[in-house]
Amino acid sequence: MENGTFEPVLLKRIHQKDSDKLATYKADGGYQALKKALAMKPEEVIDVVKASGLRGRGGAGFPTGLKWTFLPKNVEGPIYMCINGDESEPGTFNNRILIEEDPHQVLEGIVIGSYATKATRVYFYLRYEYGRCYRTLKKAVDEMYANNLLGKNILGSGYDLDIVLHRGACAYICGEETGLIESLEGKRAWPRIKPPFPAIEGAFRRPTVVNNVETMACVTHILQHGPEWFQSMGIAKDANNPRDAGSYGPKLYCVSGHVNKPGLYELPLGVTARELIDVHAGGVWKGRKAKAVVPGGISMGFMSGDELDTKLDFSGPGTVGCLGLGTAAVIVLDDETSMIDALYNCCRFFAHESCGQCTPCREGTAWSTKILERIRAGHGKLSDLDTLQEISATIGTIPGTTICGLADGAAWPIKTALKKFRPEFEEYIKSGKRSESKVLAGAH
Amino acid sequence: MPTVIVNDIEVEAGPKENLIQAARRAGVEVPHYCWHEELSVVASCRMCLVECGERKEDGSVVMGPKLVPACQTPVRDNVVVKTDTEKVRSAQGMTLEYLLLNHPLDCSICDQAGECYLQDYTYKFGKAHSRLDEPKVQRLDKYHIGDQIALFTDRCVMCTRCVRFTREISGTAELQVVSRGSVEEIDVFADQPCNNKLAGNVVDLCPVGALCSKDFLYKKRVWWLKSQESVCAGCSTGCSIEADQNENKVYRLRPRANPLAQGHFMCDEGRFGFKYIHDDSRIKRPIVKDAVRVSLDAAKSPSNGNGKLASDLSYADPWIETLALTRRAIAKAIGKNASGFTALLSPMMTVEEAYLLANYLKSLNKSVRLAMGPVPEVGVDDVYPKDPKGKAVDAKDAKFIIRAEKAPNRRGVEMVLKHFEGKVISFNEVVNSRSQIEAIYIVGGYPPGWVTDKMMQLTESIGLVIVQDILTSGLTERADIVLAGGSFLEKDGCFINYKSLVQAVKPAIRSPGDARQDGRVLMELCERKGLYNARVLRQEIAAKIPSLAALAIGDLGENGISLATKSAPSMAMT
Amino acid sequence: MSELSEDTKQKIRDHFKDYPTKQAVTLPALHMIQDQKRCVSNDAIKEVAELLELSASQVHDTLSFYGYFRTEENPIGQKRIWVCRSLPCMLRGGEELLAELCERWNLLPGGTTPDGKVTLELAECLGACDGAPCILVDDELSLNMTVDKVESDVAEMFR
Repeated sequence: MENGTFEPVLLKRIHQKDSDKLATYKADGGYQALKKALAMKPEEVIDVVKASGLRGRGGAGFPTGLKWTFLPKNVEGPIYMCINGDESEPGTFNNRILIEEDPHQVLEGIVIGSYATKATRVYFYLRYEYGRCYRTLKKAVDEMYANNLLGKNILGSGYDLDIVLHRGACAYICGEETGLIESLEGKRAWPRIKPPFPAIEGAFRRPTVVNNVETMACVTHILQHGPEWFQSMGIAKDANNPRDAGSYGPKLYCVSGHVNKPGLYELPLGVTARELIDVHAGGVWKGRKAKAVVPGGISMGFMSGDELDTKLDFSGPGTVGCLGLGTAAVIVLDDETSMIDALYNCCRFFAHESCGQCTPCREGTAWSTKILERIRAGHGKLSDLDTLQEISATIGTIPGTTICGLADGAAWPIKTALKKFRPEFEEYIKSGKRSESKVLAGAH
Repeated sequence: MPTVIVNDIEVEAGPKENLIQAARRAGVEVPHYCWHEELSVVASCRMCLVECGERKEDGSVVMGPKLVPACQTPVRDNVVVKTDTEKVRSAQGMTLEYLLLNHPLDCSICDQAGECYLQDYTYKFGKAHSRLDEPKVQRLDKYHIGDQIALFTDRCVMCTRCVRFTREISGTAELQVVSRGSVEEIDVFADQPCNNKLAGNVVDLCPVGALCSKDFLYKKRVWWLKSQESVCAGCSTGCSIEADQNENKVYRLRPRANPLAQGHFMCDEGRFGFKYIHDDSRIKRPIVKDAVRVSLDAAKSPSNGNGKLASDLSYADPWIETLALTRRAIAKAIGKNASGFTALLSPMMTVEEAYLLANYLKSLNKSVRLAMGPVPEVGVDDVYPKDPKGKAVDAKDAKFIIRAEKAPNRRGVEMVLKHFEGKVISFNEVVNSRSQIEAIYIVGGYPPGWVTDKMMQLTESIGLVIVQDILTSGLTERADIVLAGGSFLEKDGCFINYKSLVQAVKPAIRSPGDARQDGRVLMELCERKGLYNARVLRQEIAAKIPSLAALAIGDLGENGISLATKSAPSMAMT
Repeated sequence: MSELSEDTKQKIRDHFKDYPTKQAVTLPALHMIQDQKRCVSNDAIKEVAELLELSASQVHDTLSFYGYFRTEENPIGQKRIWVCRSLPCMLRGGEELLAELCERWNLLPGGTTPDGKVTLELAECLGACDGAPCILVDDELSLNMTVDKVESDVAEMFR
C-alpha cells in the first residue's frame, strides 16, 4: 500500500504475518483502548467519540457519537448493536480487507461501542460472499472469548457482551440498516418505514445501533489516541456552514477500474480524486485519461474527467453533483469507456438489487434498464433520455417516493451521466450505434 | 382532537388517524393501494404521497421539502396537508405510470373492471398514455392459489395486502411474496393452497383484478350489479354485508365494514354459503293439503292434492285463500286445546317476524305455547388469527370469530319469546313434551339440512302441522299447510347478534314465485292494516317490549345500534 | 422419512440461544441445509418451518428473496462459481470472462455442467474490485481472473 507521507493507522498491520491473530494484535498494543474505555463511564466514551467528529463510514456519513445518543435512556431489557458487514456497493472492499487482515481492531471497536451504548449483544451481519472474513472473524471471536475480551465480566469490568456472527445470502439491500435488521430477523430484507428509527425500535423491536465495520475500527483508534488526534486529520468543518460536521480522520479509499494499481489506500479524508488516482493508484492505465470517476460507489453517480480536483471528503462530491462520498470507493473509467455501457451496468445492478417493495424503485430501476438495453441495441430515441431523466428525478428518498435510499443510488448514476455526458448519449442514439461490449441477454 | 388542514379545509381528526383518514374527513380522496386500516402499515405502493407541513402559531405555514406517504404519517395538531399540488400530481402520475408499465390492458376481460382502483385512480390521477416502448412482462396466471381464488399475476401491483391479511388476520400465512424486485410475485407454498375459512377476503382486499373469486369469475360485469346493505345470516357474528344482485339473482356477498359488528371482513362460510336461496328446492307458493281443506269444509284446491299445481294456467294469488284457511285451521286447533298448540320460532327470523307471530298467537289465546326452534351449533367458536400450528389466539386478542351458533338472531327471537312466554322454551323441551302437542306452527328459514329425524319424529303424530319455510324437505312434505317464506336476503327487519347489536336486514331480491318474505306473510295472516314496514313495526315493538325499547329509533343506520350497556365488549372487538 | 437428520435439526436448534426469535434462525438454517444438500427442498422448508414455528410459506418467502438459495428443481453443482459483472469488474473484462466461460462450458448463467460438477453464476459486486475481474468459488474469492485461470483452478478442484 502506498500512502505517501501519511502513516497508516487502520492499515498498519495489513499484510504482516499473522496480522489476524490476537497475539499479534496485543503485541502491537491491541485492546489497550478497550481497557481505557472500560475504566470510563459509558456516557464518557460516547462523549469522546462525539468529540472526535467521527462520521459513519458506511455511506451516509452520519455522526457516530450522535447516533449513539439517540438510544432511549434507562431502557429496560436488551439493547443490540448490529455491525453492518454487508459491504456490497460496487467498488467497495475496504471492510473485507480490514476484517480479513486485522479483525481485532474492528472487534475492539465493537466492544468499546457496545459498552458505550450499553448493548449486551452484537449481531455482526456479514455478507455471504465474504467466506474468508467469516472464518477469520470466527477465530478472532473465539480468541476473544478465551481471553476474557468477550462473554461475562470483560476484563473484570463487570460488563457482559456476546457477539453473534450472522451471514447474509446475497442481497445488496441488506446493507440498508433496516433491511439488515429485517434480514437478521429471518425475513425478506424489505427496509422498514421510519420512524421508528432503529435506535428506538430496531432488531427484534429493541433499541439498536447499526454501525459500519470501518467506523468501529476508527472507534478503537479514537479511544486509543484521543479525539484531538482524530481531528488532526482531514478537513475541518466549514465555519460558515453550521450544518457541516466536517470530515475528520483517516479514510480507506478503494480504488478500482482503469488504474495501474487498483487497491485500498488509507489517507486523511479530503484527498482529491486526482491525487488518489495519479499519486497513489499509479495513474490511469495504458497512458489514457480519466473520462469519468465514481467517487464513492456507483450510487454516488459520476464525476467527469474535469472534476478530478474535487476533494473526496463528505461534502466534496456533492459540489460536483454527486450524491456524496458514499463508501469512498473510487472507480475510474478511462476515455475509451462507453458511458452508455457504464450507465447500463449501473442501472442493471440496481434493477437486480431493488428489493421490490416501493413501486417507483421496483418499476423505475427495471424500466431504466430496459430503456438502456434498447439504446444499446441501436433502437434508442432521443426522448428516451428525457424519460430516463424523469425516472431519475422521481425515485428515491430525496423526492420522498421510496422508503430507503437504494433508489437515490439508482437515480444518481443516471442523473450525472445524462448531465455530464449527454452529447455522447445523443450521438450514440442518432448514429444508431450498437454496443460492442459483451453482455448476456436476459441475464439479470 | 388535532386540527388538520387539508387543501385549506380545516377538520378535526381522530387522535390515532393518519393523513388519509384525516383527508377523508375533509372530503378529499388520497389514493392508496397498500394501506388498509385493518392491516399493518407498509407504505410501499407510494400512491398516497402528499405534501405535508405545519401551521405555526403566527398562522404562517411551513411545508416540508419532501413528499410523504399519507398512510404512514400520523395526524398532529396544525398539520397542513396538500394533495393537489403540482408535485403531488406529478408523483401520482409517475406512480401510476410505473404500476401500469407491465399491467396488461385487459380490462375488457377483467373481473375487476368497474370496481378497480387502477382504473379509478388512472382516471382521476393518471396519465393518458405510457412511455414504455418495450414489450410488457407477461406472467402465468395462478389458479392454484386456492379453491376459491385465482391470481392473475400480471395484474398485481404488489401491495401485499393479501399477504398481510393471511399473516395478521387469519394468521394462516399461506400467501407469500416470492423473489424480489421487478420479478417478484404473490404465490402460495408448494402444496399448501390458501383455503382458510377467511380466504375470500383477500379477493376483496385486492385493489386490482389480480386476486379473483373463482365463484364469481366471469359471471357478471360488476356495473350490472346492484348492492344492498344487509347482514349475513351464517352465524351469530352477524357480519355486515353488501349483497350484489342483478335481475333478482344474488351473485356475491361482500363484507361491509362495520366497526360495531365484525370489522372489515367475513368468512367464506357466509360469503359462499348463501347459494341455497337460489336452489331449485325453494318453495315457490303456499300449499294447503286437501285433507286440511276437507277438515275445514273448504273448497278443493286447484292442485292435485300434493301441492303440485294441476295447471299453471290456474294461476291466481294463492295467498288470500291460503291465509284464510290457515287462520281457520289455527283457530280451530286453539279452540280445541289452546295449550296443545305450540309454535316453534326460528333463530333465522327477524325480530319483527318473531314479534308478529308471537303477538298474533298470544292474542288468540294466552295458553298457546311459544318456543324456540332448533338453534344450529357446529363445533366451537372459530377464532382468528391462528398460529402456524393452527392454534387460535386468546379470544380477547381475536381479529375475527366465526361463531359456532349458526343463526343470526337467537338473541332477538329469545327477547321476543321472553316477553310473550316469560321464558325461553327450548326445542328439546318441546320434543320431550311431544305427547301434549296437538297442533304445531314451525318456522324454518334455515339453510338446507335443518330438518332432523328428531324434527320428523316430533311432527309424526301431530294433528295440524303448519310449516313456514323456504326449502322443500321431509317436513314440508309432512306439513298440512306450507307457507312459502323468504330467505335472509329477501327479508326486511333486524337481527340481534351475539353481542346485542341490532342491525337492519334489507331485501336484496324478491322471493321466488309466490313466496314472500315472512314479515309480509305474517302481517297478512294476522290481518293487520297497512303494508309491511319494518321501521314502523320496530317502533311498535319498542313500545311493547321494554328490553327492545331502543328500537324506537326505527332507522337503525348502516352500522346498527347496540343494546348492550357500556360495560359490554368493546366496539373494536370483531 | 425426515428430510433433515436429527443432527442437522439439533444444529438448527443450537442457534436458538443466539436470537430472541426462532424466525431469526431462518438464514442460518437454510445455509446449513444448502451446504449439505446443494439445494433446499420443499420438504426441508417444511421441516425448518416446523422447527422455527413458522408457516412453510414464510420460510420460502425469505428464501426466495435472496439470490443464494436453490430449490430442489434446480440444485447447484459440487462447486459454484460466481463471476462478477458489476462496474469495476466490467471495466476490466468481467462481462467477457462470464461470456467466455458460458461459451466454453456451454452454459447459461445459473446453469450446471452436465456432470454436475460446476454451477456458473453471474454475480453483482463481490467486493474484490482491487482484483477485478474477480470470481467467487463457493464462498472464497479469487482475484485477477482470466478464463484460463478459472479453467485451471477448476481442474485443480476436481483433481
